[in-house]
Amino acid sequence: MAQAESKPDSHHAYRVISREEVLARLQDPSLLLVNVMPKETFEAGHIPRSISLPVAEIEKCALQVLPDMTREIAVYCAGPT
Amino acid sequence: MGYRNLRYYIGGMADWIENGGPVEKVEPAAAPPRSGQNIQSPISRTSWTGFLDLLAGWSLERLVGFWLGMIVVFGVVYWVAGIGIGWGLQAGNVAVKPDLEGLGTAIYFSFVTALSIGYGDVIPLGALRILVVAEGVAGLLIFGCVISKLVSRRQEELTAEIHRTTFEDRLDRVRTNLHLVFSDLGAVQQLQAEQGALPGQVLRRLESTVRVFRGELQTVHDVLYRSQVVPDEDALESLLANLVICLQSLAELNASRPTDNGQSPALDSGLRAIGNLAREICGECVPHTYAPALKESMDQIQALAGKFA
Repeated sequence: MAQAESKPDSHHAYRVISREEVLARLQDPSLLLVNVMPKETFEAGHIPRSISLPVAEIEKCALQVLPDMTREIAVYCAGPT
Repeated sequence: MGYRNLRYYIGGMADWIENGGPVEKVEPAAAPPRSGQNIQSPISRTSWTGFLDLLAGWSLERLVGFWLGMIVVFGVVYWVAGIGIGWGLQAGNVAVKPDLEGLGTAIYFSFVTALSIGYGDVIPLGALRILVVAEGVAGLLIFGCVISKLVSRRQEELTAEIHRTTFEDRLDRVRTNLHLVFSDLGAVQQLQAEQGALPGQVLRRLESTVRVFRGELQTVHDVLYRSQVVPDEDALESLLANLVICLQSLAELNASRPTDNGQSPALDSGLRAIGNLAREICGECVPHTYAPALKESMDQIQALAGKFA
């Protein structure tokens, strides 16, 4: 978890989370999984325990869905795009 | 946006599924059964209400057929019961005979029972009475379904018609607005070329145009993703073509926007929202499969989204 300590003030240099870590922390409530695909795609299948926050609604809903700015959040979408 | 502990799972869903990660799905909510369709409710029910739901899902023709079939079958059963075990029907004081005339009488009695008329000219004997009561109840229930189907059919047609008209109106409105947006963008572009900058008034105009455009883009996005009605492909084609030229024009304008003056937070957030919406429109990602020309337009829209990052 040394990675998580780096560059806390940068907005654009997103830190990466690996599949293994996501898998290992599936039951860990301190990691919040966020699916940014459209609602329909989310409903068709997502990583368990994820919450849905479609890209188009981030501006509007982010603060309601994710009020805690310091929380560890893992964002993912359909694929490596 | 100020989140300090944001991490990105690059592989996304594709990588997750490929490597056998567990996937969770949301079951669609139970839709109300529509006429002509037999939608099985996912909620388990008792067989009795389940039977009623099944009936409600049947088409009118099927219901009437089932009702008539049930009456004839019951009639034959009464007739056979009379021959086989002696507990048959009695017309007047004479038992119904085991011949064709007897069969006719039995079916007539079955109709009279199912319609709950009960003239009393033919009466059931012994254990047959239980069967007769059962037929009476079933006949009433099914006949009730037939009547309610007849009444609601017109209602459903009207509702569908209203839905369709509203939908078409909405698409018409989007088309008109996109035309306005396009001509407005052209005007702003011209003003910018003449003056080399975006003076306050022009900037306000651009902001309002971008706001309208964002709204209409949202509508098209909703039509593609959420609509129950699949839009007419011709209508959609012209809409998407309009969207593409508007996006192109806006992208040009955005690229040539002077960096020193012409700054506006409202404009920036509007453009970002447009980029985000456009990014979700592509031939492969919308739930419905459209003609290749439409897919191409959608892919163009997605490609243009990159210019508003």
